[in-house]
Amino acid sequence: MSLGPLAGTAAQVAPLVDPGALLATGGAVDGLQTATRVLAEGIGKGAVYFTIAVGLTLVFGLMGVLNFAHGAIAMVGAYLGGLVLVLLVGANTGTVATILVFFVALALVFAVTTAAGSAMEVTLIRPIYDRTPTYQILLTFGVSLIIEEVARIVLTLRGIQPNPQWQAPMGTAPDVLLGRTELLGVGVRRLYLFEVAIGAVVAVAVWAFLTKTLYGLYIRAGSEDTEMVQALGVDVRQAFTVVFGVGPGLAAVGGVLLMWDPIWGPSVLLSIDVLLYAFVVVIIGGLGSFTGTLVAAGIVGIADSVTTWLFTTGIVTFPGLSEVTIFLLLVVMLILRPQGLYGVEEVGGH
Amino acid sequence: MIVGFLLYPLGYEALLATPAAPLAETFLPAITFMVVVLYMGLFAMSFDFVSGYTGYLSFGHAAFFGTGGYFVVLAANGQVPGIPGGTPFMITLLLGAVVAGLLALVIGSVSFRLTGVYFAMITLGFAQVIYELIRSWGYVSTNPTEGATVSGDALAIGVPFVDALSLDVGRLTGESVENLLGLGIDLSATVVSYYALGIVVVVCYFAMQRIIHSPFGRVMIAIRENEERARAVGYATYRFKLAAFAISGFFGAVAGGIFAAYSRSVAPDGTFYFLVTADALITTIVGGFGTLAGPVYGTLFTQGLEDVLSTESGGIATLLREELPASVLEADLFGISVELFVNTAVDGRAPLYLGIIFVLFVLFVPNGILGTLRDRLGGTVGKRLPDHLRRYLR
Repeated sequence: MSLGPLAGTAAQVAPLVDPGALLATGGAVDGLQTATRVLAEGIGKGAVYFTIAVGLTLVFGLMGVLNFAHGAIAMVGAYLGGLVLVLLVGANTGTVATILVFFVALALVFAVTTAAGSAMEVTLIRPIYDRTPTYQILLTFGVSLIIEEVARIVLTLRGIQPNPQWQAPMGTAPDVLLGRTELLGVGVRRLYLFEVAIGAVVAVAVWAFLTKTLYGLYIRAGSEDTEMVQALGVDVRQAFTVVFGVGPGLAAVGGVLLMWDPIWGPSVLLSIDVLLYAFVVVIIGGLGSFTGTLVAAGIVGIADSVTTWLFTTGIVTFPGLSEVTIFLLLVVMLILRPQGLYGVEEVGGH
Repeated sequence: MIVGFLLYPLGYEALLATPAAPLAETFLPAITFMVVVLYMGLFAMSFDFVSGYTGYLSFGHAAFFGTGGYFVVLAANGQVPGIPGGTPFMITLLLGAVVAGLLALVIGSVSFRLTGVYFAMITLGFAQVIYELIRSWGYVSTNPTEGATVSGDALAIGVPFVDALSLDVGRLTGESVENLLGLGIDLSATVVSYYALGIVVVVCYFAMQRIIHSPFGRVMIAIRENEERARAVGYATYRFKLAAFAISGFFGAVAGGIFAAYSRSVAPDGTFYFLVTADALITTIVGGFGTLAGPVYGTLFTQGLEDVLSTESGGIATLLREELPASVLEADLFGISVELFVNTAVDGRAPLYLGIIFVLFVLFVPNGILGTLRDRLGGTVGKRLPDHLRRYLR
C-alpha cells in the first residue's frame, strides 16, 4: 500500500502568539503578561484536546475497546459540520445566526455519528468482544482506513482537495471570533474562549450523563464489573451500544469544533492527528478516567502552548518541539505511572 | 514458495509476449511491485517476529525500518562518523541493522515494563518522537522533511570487495545482465535488483526461521501463550522479550536498508511514519499472524491488489477505460459520469479495498491466509500438502 497521499501529517505548527504583539512589547517582555497569554492559549488548546479525547476514554472505560477509528470520525465530523455551515451560512448571515447554525451543525453531526457508531458496534465490534484486545484495535483501525478512503473519494468527486484544509467552512467563522479580547491585560483570541466554552459544556454534559442518568450509572457500574451488573438484570449490551455511539459522537463534536480552528481545519489528515493527540491525552490521564482526561487535556494543552511559545520567540529553533514534547510526556508518563494519572491499574493490562 | 519467487519474473516476461498480455498486465503484479513485496515482506516478517510470536504488538516498528534506511543512505554519502564514503553496502547494511538492534534494546528496556495496549502505545510514542526529530534534523539533508538521497554510485548486494560476486541494485542505476550464463536470457536492471534483494530476504527468512524453531523461539511462544507460567517455570521473560525485540529490530532495519539501496532515497514519511507500521500490520494479519512466512503472502496479496488498482503498470482502471464502450463511460451515475467514478474510486484506491478486506479478515479469518491453511491441513503446508494431494490421486 502506498504511503504517498496519506503521509506527511502532524499538525502544522502555526505561530499562535502574534509575532507583531511580541515585537511591540520588545525586549522587556512583561513576564506575567506572557505567562497569562501562554496559559490562556494552553487552556484553549486543552479544551480542544479534551473534546477530541473524552469520547475515546468513555468507550475504553466501559468496554475496554481502544477505538482506532476515533480520529477518522472526528474528521468526518469536521467535514459534515463544514457542509452544514457552507450550505446555510451566506455572506449576509449575521454573527448570531452563524453561531446558531454552528450549534445546529453540532447537534446534527452528533446525532448522525452517534447512530453510525452504534451501528458499528452492533455489526462489527459485538462479534469480537471475547477475543484479545489486539483484534479490537485491528478492527477499528481497518474501519478508520475505510472511512478515510471513502472521504477521499467523495471529496475528490466533489472537486475538493482532501489534504489541504477545506477553506470554505473556515471562511464562515464570524468575524467576532477572529478578534482578540482583553483579558487580564493580554489579548486572547476569542476563538480560544469559544473553544473553552464549548469544551466546558461538553465536559459538564458528559459528567452529568455519567453521574445523573440511569445509563451513566450502568456505565460506571459496568466499567467496574460487567458480570455483576448483568447479574443484577441490566442489559449491559444495550449500554455498550449506546456508549459506542456516544463516543464517536463526541469525537465528531470535537471535529466540528476544529473546523474553525486555523491550526486544524477540515482535512483528511485530521484523522491521524486527532487520533494520536487523543491517545496521548487519554493515556496520560488514565484510560477510562473522565477526571484524568480533563486534567491531562489541560497539561497537554499548556505544554503545547509553552513549547509553541518557545519556538515562536526563537528561544528554541526546532520546529517539531511541540509534538516531540507531547510524545515525550506520554513516554515519561508510561514509565513513571503506566496506568495514567487517574487510571486503575488493571485496565488495559492484558 | 522460493521457487515461485525465483521463476516469477521469467514467467511474467514470457506472458507479456503472448496474446494474454493485457490481462497479465492488469492482474499480475509487475516486477517493480514484486520488489516492494520483497522488502515490505521482510519488514512485515520482522514485525511478525516480535508481535506474532511474543504477543507484544510493536506499533512503532517503523522506527527500525527508518533507522536501517537512513543509516544506509547517510553512510553511502559519508555522513556517518567513522565510516568512509565508499564502504561496501553489505557492511553498512549490517552496521545499520546492529544500530537498530541497539535502538530496540533501548526502546524495549522501557517498553517491556508495560503490557497490552500500553506497550503498543509507548512503542508508537517512541517512533513518533523519532519521526518528528528526523523530520527536523538539518544534518540529514538541506530539506529534512523530504529526506535524503544517495548521491554516489549504485549500492551493490553481494560479497564485499569482490566485484564479480556483487550486483548493483536500483531501478535506474542497477546492473542489467545480458545473456545470463549463456542461456540467452536477458535480465533488466529491475529484475536483477529483484533477485539481489531476494537473496537478502531469503537469508533473513531462514535466519528468523532458525531462531523461531530454536529453544529460544519456544520461549517466545510460551510468553505469548502464558507469560506468567513461563516466568514461573523459571525463564527470565523480560530478557527473552528484549532479545526478541532486538532481533526483530535488526531484521526490520535490514528491510529498510535494502529498500533504501533500491530506491536510493529515504523520506521520513516513507520510513519512520506510523503508516509504515500499519502496512506491516495489515499484511501480517492478512497473511497470518504468528506464522513467519505469512506476512510475505500477505504482502504479495496486498501489493498484488495495489498493482491491479494502480495505473502505473496497466491496472484495472486502464483496462476498464480501454475495454468499456464510450456510452457506458459517459453514462450518468448520480450526476457523475462513470469515467470520473472509475478515475477516482478505482484508480490508486487500494487502501479502501485493503481496509475492507482487512476488516473482513479480522472478523472472519483471524488466523490469516497461511494460519488458516495450516489449521485446515493440520501442519505446515510443505509437510501436509503432499499427503492431502495423494488422497485425491488415489
